[in-house]
Amino acid sequence: MSFAKKTKLLLPALALSTLAACQTTEKVNTPEQLNALEKISTTEHPSAPPKSSAAKDIKALEKLKAEKKFRVCADPLNPPYSTKKQDGYENKIAELFAKQLGQEVEYYWFPQRIGFVRNTLKSKIDNSEQYKCDVIMGVPAGFDFTATTNSYYHSTYVLLIAKGRGWDNITIPEQLRSLPLAKQDSLKIAMFDRGPGTAWLQNSGLLEQGVPYQTMTGDHENNTSMMIAKELQAGNIDMVILWGPMAGHIIAQQPDTYKVLPMKSALNMKFDYSMAMGVRYGDKQRKVLLNQLISKNQLAINKILTKYHVPLLPIPAAKKHQDDD
Amino acid sequence: MKKPLKSLLLASSVAALLATPVISSANSGVEKLTKNPANWATALGNYSGTRYSKLDQINSKNVKNLQPAWSFSTGVLRGHEGGPLVIGDVIYIHTPFPNTVYALDQATRSVIWEYTPTMDADVTIPVMCCDTVNRGLAYGDGKIFLQQSDTVLTALDAKTGQRIWSVQNGDPKLGMTNTQAPLVVNDKVITGIAGGEFGVRGFLAAYDIKTGELSWKGYSMGPDGDTLIKPGSSTTWENGKVTKLGKNSGTSSWEGDQWKIGGGTTWGWYSYDPDLNLIYYGSGNPSTWNPVQRPGDNKWSMSLWARDADTGEVKWVYQMTPHDEWDFDGINEVVLADQKIGGKTRKTVVHFDRNGFGYTLDRVTGELLVAEKFDKTVNWASHVDLKSGRPQVVSEFSTEQNGEDENTEGVCPAALGSKNQQPVSYSPKTKMFYISANHLCMDYEPFEVSYTAGQPYVGATLTMMPAGGDVLTGKKDGSTNLGQFTAWDATTGKIVWSNKETFSVWSGSVATAGDVVFYGTLEGYLKAVDAKTGKELYKFKTPSGIIGNVNTWSYKGKQYVGVLSGIGGWAGIGIAAGLDSGESDSNSEGLGAVGAYRSLSSFTKLGGVFTVFSLPGK
Repeated sequence: MSFAKKTKLLLPALALSTLAACQTTEKVNTPEQLNALEKISTTEHPSAPPKSSAAKDIKALEKLKAEKKFRVCADPLNPPYSTKKQDGYENKIAELFAKQLGQEVEYYWFPQRIGFVRNTLKSKIDNSEQYKCDVIMGVPAGFDFTATTNSYYHSTYVLLIAKGRGWDNITIPEQLRSLPLAKQDSLKIAMFDRGPGTAWLQNSGLLEQGVPYQTMTGDHENNTSMMIAKELQAGNIDMVILWGPMAGHIIAQQPDTYKVLPMKSALNMKFDYSMAMGVRYGDKQRKVLLNQLISKNQLAINKILTKYHVPLLPIPAAKKHQDDD
Repeated sequence: MKKPLKSLLLASSVAALLATPVISSANSGVEKLTKNPANWATALGNYSGTRYSKLDQINSKNVKNLQPAWSFSTGVLRGHEGGPLVIGDVIYIHTPFPNTVYALDQATRSVIWEYTPTMDADVTIPVMCCDTVNRGLAYGDGKIFLQQSDTVLTALDAKTGQRIWSVQNGDPKLGMTNTQAPLVVNDKVITGIAGGEFGVRGFLAAYDIKTGELSWKGYSMGPDGDTLIKPGSSTTWENGKVTKLGKNSGTSSWEGDQWKIGGGTTWGWYSYDPDLNLIYYGSGNPSTWNPVQRPGDNKWSMSLWARDADTGEVKWVYQMTPHDEWDFDGINEVVLADQKIGGKTRKTVVHFDRNGFGYTLDRVTGELLVAEKFDKTVNWASHVDLKSGRPQVVSEFSTEQNGEDENTEGVCPAALGSKNQQPVSYSPKTKMFYISANHLCMDYEPFEVSYTAGQPYVGATLTMMPAGGDVLTGKKDGSTNLGQFTAWDATTGKIVWSNKETFSVWSGSVATAGDVVFYGTLEGYLKAVDAKTGKELYKFKTPSGIIGNVNTWSYKGKQYVGVLSGIGGWAGIGIAAGLDSGESDSNSEGLGAVGAYRSLSSFTKLGGVFTVFSLPGK
């Protein structure tokens, strides 16, 4: 079956400006205040039902807090994010949240491929009205398959270079654009079927040097960071433009083996993204609850991420260009 | 003088044996079965793929009296594509994952045997993401051939359902899956592969009917040894003539090693000409998805093929959509018909592509004869230049040329194509092709943040909407229908008539000697229309939306029409996956189609049912 999302190589300036719109940053604690914020930061949907009263919202929130389980949709093999052994950083953050709520983490495992949201967060358990799980621990801010919480970290794509293969003098990615031809011919860099790294290679006239890889694998025993780690070790590639957390995973496996250079976003090419959590559209109180937990635990979250070598940048104030129900 | 009876019999049977040319049993078996209209012995009804039945008991006069005779629940949700096989007294039906096969006794309308393959959940779940459909079974040599979702091709004893052999046709770990129906040709089972969204390199493969051993495999791209293209003998159509191909035409239009993940999957339908011993099919879109990343024509994705059935060697190949930017998969069926073109009877193939053009080629040589829009709202190309065989792309609708900093709006058709995999039918009586069609356009918006396998990036969102124009003229008319059912003259490339359908027609049609054409609709109606005029003569609402193909056969002198209903697949995936709440933001993943199909959920719910129709009385 063919699939209808296409990578666009260049991001219009307009889209960037919407991402950089301001958001109020006053401290909020109560659900009502959060709700008020929600109203500021989202446009009313023309057909949206009238907003329920604050009292009703508080009740709904209490009900969520009283649940026994913190139900997460996750990939059973997607280091560094999540694994069935629950040793990914998204597992750790889920545990942190559940513990504070006095709940137990319960997973619904499904490989994160096409159809992940459809088969997890938005899928009901057979013959029941209950969904298989309620939260996806990592989705980009502005992701449109789910409603998204406030961002809880911001990272960037990096150029990861294997040391000792003749590329040690590279200090900024742009140097790759001006190599002597003979040197350029020896360049072996991973090229994914989609993503900004490939766009950068194309803009830099380096497509010919790209070794093609699929972003998405059909293999339940493999994922992108595992595959790239193997390929780097085998010498099939010397470098890769990779999303920060995945690069962090590779570095954690083999410390002192790689050089890490952050990619710089330009007007027409975005390398840095904020990450949030995903909930169902309309599951508003859960979003409120998660936002409370995020703001309360930001330091603890940062600590976890640092342990996993995730390159962290300050979270830019971002307005979501989303309706919420 | 009387001859003893016994020796007479013996003598005549020996003579009969001597008189028949030596062809292998499987082939003669299938061909002979398809010649008897009581059977429906291949997925498309016959080797030519015409989906035409000589049965005329049900005709345009009496079809209004049609009624359901019996029905059978498959017990499986998700999308039910394909249709029943009927061999003598037995009907064979299949289901989407878990790919259960039922053999049903026509006398008692009960299950003779059922078979459900064991598929490793870990292996199949990653490929299940896409609502893995199955388009049907093949019969030959006393066996039923099931092409499982997990790429395993299995041969079952048609009488008992016992598994005889299985062979691994691909590697699901590499994103390979199977959705299409196999075809038995001579002593081989022909099958292909799906998984273009994982960068799978497409191929057509032939397995030995007795043992399951691989006999040959021809890739869609790669060096000549892989494609089985023979330079200096295999041909293509260019510069107004049949032209011999040079060396490695399957790599020369690719940058570097990109052909290795080049796409061109083969998940459509296959047809076969026993006289020419050629198999015909189409290959899908090139990988990667981003056209800018793969400069060149990306041969031989998006192409029509003729391969020798014994060796797989390419006789001819013709690329319809060079350097695809729109997802116009070229896998749709290739129908064989002998037609008068320019006063001369030609052996032709006819193909209605996702890209909106109806092609007629000489099936012996691959000469391009006709290429015209079968929906005049199609705008991505102005026309196909018959001399070069290339479409003349309109730059305004090129996602690549606009991709830098603006939306590409109103590209017609949408990625679903003017026609998707649902096969056409052809009536030699009316000389018309009957097309189950989509009537949609799309916008590309390069604004969305995408997230695939743990890496965020800015991608484009594809939104589909009604074509909003007249299928006959292309003029904007504010119409909101998403489907058409169209009759086509393939000798001139002209629409004869076309009916509007509320939703895309996702069901393959069947044309009959009774001058009736049957097809199903997404709301769940089985419809019968007059083959000459398109006038609707009968409709009946089955339990769920129909994305299966309507087949017809006869049993004990009575004609039956049967179809699987059960919404799902691409058109119904929002519903199949239980997420389409009908709210504007219940976005369907990897589809973009949902906006247009949103209202469908009020018409139909999930569930597979096989419904059989006949005329009243004995």
